[in-house]
Amino acid sequence: MLGYICKYAPIEILESMGAVMKRIEPQVSNFNQADTLMHPNICSFAKGILEEVLAGGYEGVILTTCCDSIRRLYDVLKEQLPDRFIYMLDTPRITGDGGAALYEKRILEMAEAYKKFSGRTFCLSAFQNLLQERTAARAEDNASKEGRISIGIAGARASESLKSVLRERNVEVVFDLTCTGLERKLLYSRQNTVLEYSKGLLAQFPCMRMINTDRDKMLLAYADKADGVLYHTVQFCDNYSYEYAWLKEILRKPLLLLETDYTAQSYGQVLTRIEAFLESLKKTKKTAVWLPKGEKAMYVLGIDSGSTSTNAVIMDQNREIKAFSVVRTGAKSGESANRILAQVLEKANLKREDIGRIVSTGYGRVSIPFADENVTEISCHGRGAHYFNPAIRTILDIGGQDSKAIRLNGRGEVVDFVMNDKCAAGTGRFLEMIARTLEVDIDDLGPIALQSTEKIEITSMCSVFAESEVISLIANNKEKSDIADGVCHAIANKSYSLLKRVGLEKEFMMTGGVAKNPGVVRAVEEKLQASLYICPEPEIVGAAGAALYALDSLIGKL
Amino acid sequence: MSVADKYIDYVKKEAIERPEKSWDKMVLGFQANKLKTKLLPKKAISKGYQKLEAMMMSLVADSLFKEGSYVWGNIFAPCEIMQSLGVRTLSIECLSCYLSGYHLEDYFIDYAQNIGIAPTLCSYHKTFLGASDSGVIPNPVYAVGTSLSCDGNLNTFRYLEKKRGVPFTLLDIPYRDDDTSVEYLARQLEELSYTLSQVFKKPFKLESLKEAIRIENETRRQLVKFFHLLQEHFYPGELISQLYLMMGTHLLMGTQEFLDLVRFMNEDILTYPAFEGKRILWVHLLPFYQESLRQYFNGSSQYQIFGSDIILDSWEDLDETQPFRSLAKKLIRNIYNGSYSHKADMLSDLADRLKPDAVIHFCHWGCKQASGGSILLKERMQEKHIPMLILDGDGIDKRNSHDGQIKTRLEAFLEMLEGENKAC
Repeated sequence: MLGYICKYAPIEILESMGAVMKRIEPQVSNFNQADTLMHPNICSFAKGILEEVLAGGYEGVILTTCCDSIRRLYDVLKEQLPDRFIYMLDTPRITGDGGAALYEKRILEMAEAYKKFSGRTFCLSAFQNLLQERTAARAEDNASKEGRISIGIAGARASESLKSVLRERNVEVVFDLTCTGLERKLLYSRQNTVLEYSKGLLAQFPCMRMINTDRDKMLLAYADKADGVLYHTVQFCDNYSYEYAWLKEILRKPLLLLETDYTAQSYGQVLTRIEAFLESLKKTKKTAVWLPKGEKAMYVLGIDSGSTSTNAVIMDQNREIKAFSVVRTGAKSGESANRILAQVLEKANLKREDIGRIVSTGYGRVSIPFADENVTEISCHGRGAHYFNPAIRTILDIGGQDSKAIRLNGRGEVVDFVMNDKCAAGTGRFLEMIARTLEVDIDDLGPIALQSTEKIEITSMCSVFAESEVISLIANNKEKSDIADGVCHAIANKSYSLLKRVGLEKEFMMTGGVAKNPGVVRAVEEKLQASLYICPEPEIVGAAGAALYALDSLIGKL
Repeated sequence: MSVADKYIDYVKKEAIERPEKSWDKMVLGFQANKLKTKLLPKKAISKGYQKLEAMMMSLVADSLFKEGSYVWGNIFAPCEIMQSLGVRTLSIECLSCYLSGYHLEDYFIDYAQNIGIAPTLCSYHKTFLGASDSGVIPNPVYAVGTSLSCDGNLNTFRYLEKKRGVPFTLLDIPYRDDDTSVEYLARQLEELSYTLSQVFKKPFKLESLKEAIRIENETRRQLVKFFHLLQEHFYPGELISQLYLMMGTHLLMGTQEFLDLVRFMNEDILTYPAFEGKRILWVHLLPFYQESLRQYFNGSSQYQIFGSDIILDSWEDLDETQPFRSLAKKLIRNIYNGSYSHKADMLSDLADRLKPDAVIHFCHWGCKQASGGSILLKERMQEKHIPMLILDGDGIDKRNSHDGQIKTRLEAFLEMLEGENKAC
């Protein structure tokens, strides 16, 4: 079996020679070998391929000169697996005649090399027959899919798990312009068969490595068919971010940027973003049915299960908060949920059966056993913020393990959002780390920062580097208050970048545990040159939003 | 605070607050620096490196001062073709370094990331994208890029064409080294010469290109001689001197002024004392701002960097009778093109010629093509018993380069080299 990855790979040539071709779709759990044999900063997809191919099962791999990371992948594979057929096919970036002629020559050289390796020969008539069969057997599925959300996928190759997430949510994928989604463009001609075939391959929907393409114009035309576009990028593959930056300017449809690293672990993070995006496209059907239980059943519960705290809000039918509660999340989010349920019911003086509907949100939202429905924290923060202050258009939420910026319209609906995760810089976890290093209580870090007299700049973007920078500042006898203030400003800078990416529309609100830190609040306000609205308990905004969602379905059913 | 520092702060503030109006002030600063490097050169470095610095300041300051006199390029853009039309080439990587003279790299990098450009992209490209997109740098008439040596080139130039309206030609440098590839590229180069001739409304003269190639061949021979002389003589320079040399071999290759300078350096170096320290062959970029590296290498009589693959990335004579084919061959056989084993072969060859005591490979943040093979190169150098150090950092963005970590690794490596000495 020969592996390949690129849509420009001439697989039909090799198939006509008797090779079994398989597109490699890495699904790995770590990059242990790749990080040692290559470099940690190589694109995650290339690292995934390396892990997959080293695991065995392939007689060889056909690579193309598609990008820098793949060029280096070839070098490493060639060195690691000298007895396999590791072939680098030089693929032109020019699609015109010059490019096609060059590609034809390179393809025939490849066939010759494979013959030397396997003993299988290339036979023109066998190739012609195979092409004829393939070009004839094309049928399209044009079944009607009315009423469903339609999404188009563009950007870097989308993995199967990404598409199954969409399928499971009953989303219609109207186009997939990534390398893995495109139908092969096969040109068959009796004369100059290989040249025409090469032309066909090069004339497929162009990838970012091709010169003189009108990808953007083609994308705009495709986008007309979809409610929104999901733009996928791979971590450490920078090429598609250029197009995303440009599309953001010209595309008049909702656009979601989704970065994955081709590991199984990135699934959870992908899920939150996709669900929030679908919620913002507003066609999601509410499937759960509410059945009233007892006379006083006009109460709802919103529960936000975050990485650091679990928060709950009980609301009545008049949208009044009856009680709320905040507890630290333990190792199991389900247990914290049971604890907080008991606590908040007690505060509200209610029983479990008085609660008509429960909506969960936050990272642990799917692990809450008693929730009737779950909604992402992005939509819930939007609803919650609008509830506390309808003038809010931009929210900064800094939680324990991620931070996000959300933009709302006048009705409190999410218009755009960006998230920062996988990286502790600019999150509550980062502040905890620094507080430990400074030997102060996390709750005191903000008040201490307010007493600062000297301005210190923490330049490192990475939280690990920043921690060692703080250690050297301590060694240089700098005041704790000044260091604390420097750290608050570092968080503010990071947050400002997030806010800028959704547009800096007033009024601003800050939510999440870090909103309780006056040092960070002051630093963000300075950077924004605007004041931040902070509600009395900034940790319950998400839970309040969840309660509002619960109320929606409750009232909708009455 | 010196007058120069005050001016730098002032320009930085202007660029952030009033980007469209800051450019003239920025160019004025480059002009002033040009005069300074001519009239008051750095005393701690040798005369040759002083003149080199002044020449590179002039190239940038004078070109930018005269609108329509230059193209944006990347470091591998064939400057010989532009020169034969009387047009200068300013590479975006070098311009990013010059912008960092105003301490603006952080601002521009953040600017680029805020518009959606990947944080993991090369910082030179991010700096330049931020500078152009924020409106600080005005557009040139044209841009010329190559797919060598990284993916960033095509994407950056394409983005700037879409967003800022800068027309460009991108040369596709094939991976394989054979006659078909040479023809494929030679045709693109020829087409480029016609395109530029129309854009700049100047006749293209093949004879001028041939003359540039004759000069280039001689310059390369002189440079190889210079590297050999560096083995024997202590010729004080700075990390940045190596970058200036790289600018010379890429943006002024084929010009009489650069040839004259290298000739001067070859005479000048003879007046300097013998070098008895460790000779380091440097691979890839040099983070010229990094404090610990400056401490160890700037003006050091103990450790001398002599030669780097970024300065000399091809060393075959070019056939002047077939200028387009020769330039095509030069690009295809470039150390950065093709497989990494091609690069390792060329570096082995360079190491055989220059006999360094050690190799340092600097992995610049975001540079996949260089970093991805660093471990292969280390194995190759180990076969030759040449110790090699891999340093991770960033050529321009200080925030990605942790000085403490670089210092520890470098010092341990140098201690190891000194230890070897004692063992001998």
